[in-house]
Amino acid sequence: MLVDIDVSAREETPSWVAYGTPLFAIAAALAVSVVALIAIDVNPVAAYVQMFVRPFGTVSTLSNVLVRATPLILVGLGVYLPMKAGLWNIGAEGQLLTGAIVGTWIAINVSLPQAVLIPVMLAGAAVAGGLWAFVPALLRAKWGISEIITTLLFTFIAADIQLYLVRGPMQGGSGGFPQTDLLPGVAEFPAIPGTRAHVGLLVALLFVALLYAVMRRTRFGFRVNFVGSNAEAAEQAGMSRYRVYLLTLVAGGALAGLAGISEIAGNQSRLHASFAPGYGYTAVPIALLGRNGVSRMLLAALFFALLFVGGNRVTVAMDVPAAIIDIVQALVILFLITAEFFQRYSLSVSVDRGDDGQTIQGTEVSADD
Amino acid sequence: MTDTSFLLGLADAMVSASTVLVLAGLGELISERAGVLNLGVEGMILVGALSGVIATVVTGSYWIGFAVGSVCGLLMSAVHAFLCISLKADQAISGIMLTLLGTGITTYFGQQWASAQFAGFPDRTLPVIGGLLVEIPIVGPTVFEGPATDFVALGLVVVVWWLLTRTNLGLEIISVGEDPETADTMGIDVFKMRYLAVLIGGLLAGAAGAHLSLAFTGIWTNNIAAGQGWIAVALVIFARWRPGRLLVGAYLFGLFNSLRLRSQGLDLTLAPESPLAALLNPVVEFLLNPAIMSMYPYIVTLVVLVATVVWSRDDDSAQPAALVQAYSREAD
Repeated sequence: MLVDIDVSAREETPSWVAYGTPLFAIAAALAVSVVALIAIDVNPVAAYVQMFVRPFGTVSTLSNVLVRATPLILVGLGVYLPMKAGLWNIGAEGQLLTGAIVGTWIAINVSLPQAVLIPVMLAGAAVAGGLWAFVPALLRAKWGISEIITTLLFTFIAADIQLYLVRGPMQGGSGGFPQTDLLPGVAEFPAIPGTRAHVGLLVALLFVALLYAVMRRTRFGFRVNFVGSNAEAAEQAGMSRYRVYLLTLVAGGALAGLAGISEIAGNQSRLHASFAPGYGYTAVPIALLGRNGVSRMLLAALFFALLFVGGNRVTVAMDVPAAIIDIVQALVILFLITAEFFQRYSLSVSVDRGDDGQTIQGTEVSADD
Repeated sequence: MTDTSFLLGLADAMVSASTVLVLAGLGELISERAGVLNLGVEGMILVGALSGVIATVVTGSYWIGFAVGSVCGLLMSAVHAFLCISLKADQAISGIMLTLLGTGITTYFGQQWASAQFAGFPDRTLPVIGGLLVEIPIVGPTVFEGPATDFVALGLVVVVWWLLTRTNLGLEIISVGEDPETADTMGIDVFKMRYLAVLIGGLLAGAAGAHLSLAFTGIWTNNIAAGQGWIAVALVIFARWRPGRLLVGAYLFGLFNSLRLRSQGLDLTLAPESPLAALLNPVVEFLLNPAIMSMYPYIVTLVVLVATVVWSRDDDSAQPAALVQAYSREAD
């Protein structure tokens, strides 16, 4: 007999279950990742101390977390917003890359005073990211073609374009490395005094606040939530699914594009072949872990930023492959969806209720709001 | 390099490059026919490819490597099946995270196997009738001569077609993907059928990965699948969930993939004295740039996907009606 559990839907989820689920998911993921650490003869306790405790040691290490968090917050929002409308922006990485490419090009080729140049770079990157999401958005809105596949294919294409550019037309410097010239000083995002964190962080927090307000206070936010939780009903209520899909995915692309240029101009100072260690892919677990509100998404982004900083530390100090970050990320979400089952269903004796309204539909991501 | 040998090499590479997509695509097709979308194929291909290499190096037998790779794909799909069928989790999330997990695990453990030397599948003629058929110009040596996994994949196209259209088991799989409630009242075990289909899908995705590392590249490299798992998912839509069309689609993508690998031997630039040389040569060079060429398979996938969906928009009958819907029995 294969697994066939008799379950009943909970009428309401106890609040300790609702709040404890993300924490349980993180704890379970870290517990299972111990296997991967032991397999390569690394002491898991020492590794976790290095990853999650040491970054809090000094202001400088702590500001590293904020530097990492900056692109993650922006690109996390870029996945979060379409997710609220029921769309999967799995290819945020591609939008991030195009934003970085266009922003870098502006920084290197346009000479303007800093107060004008940086906004122009941000705008250029946002437009580029938005355009990169536009075709998948149109295909989804018009013909229902899965945005999961199309945004990903666009990401693969963007990655190839990036490689072509840094090895060809945009290659700079000497030595033939696949990278552009350093950005001119005026194009670098000013640092927040006393830290390594930069203006990009303020831009990110601005958009967190903006999105929070839009989702809670505006008609548009209401529409997005409505379409996301029940597209058919929204259509019947006279809302245009087409517009919501197009707007959220393009806006998501723009946010991802901002993440790209903020990482270049705030942290790396030049575009090179491997500047983005998969921030766009990490954005998906971030948005999922924080799916119940912008503020929780912010917390999720900070947690994954800590994971990146900690992951780098164990890579350097203990020779742990950086892919440990991917393993933990994936496990967190796999345990999250496991735990959500227990949020929605109780395994006690099944009660004859006769309705089946709790069946989870494939793409309903915000049904539990 | 003469033109015929270029064509022959291209056709040969096309068949071999398409085998990954045929195997992974057939697995995805069966899984989706039962109503379960599996976006973890990419991760399962990667896990199958690495575990296949490890098993081959350890045991010295590429057949054992192929079997181990397939089984590891199956084990990963068991996680997907448990989450999506038993726990009714979102199929898209589970699949995407399994791909992320597969990428992470294989990158994590793959480093030390990247330079591993092993004897992979040798090219050989199809047994029994192959010796005769191989004499056919171009088609003969491309189709009937190659690694054994190429023949396995071609055979499976027929087997899956036969399974889905001519057997009770196939009809039961299709019925749980179209209308699980009715299938349940007919006495078909919906959960069991879905588990079976997802596990077969994982087995084939793992096999695709093992073929990729053991027969196609002959070496393990990080992210060896390079998006082919995602192309396989798109191919199933292009194929309208039919095995025969899947084969056609896989050949098309195999062609573009092999074009990139074989293009070094090709010189399409015009002679300098030609009047159009100044105008066209930069374009040709741009188009033959390796970085540009490596995006062709993705562009072709996009174009073909859009064309398929737009042209067959009025005919929704091909897609399994209960795809991505979890099934819960009414409380009894």
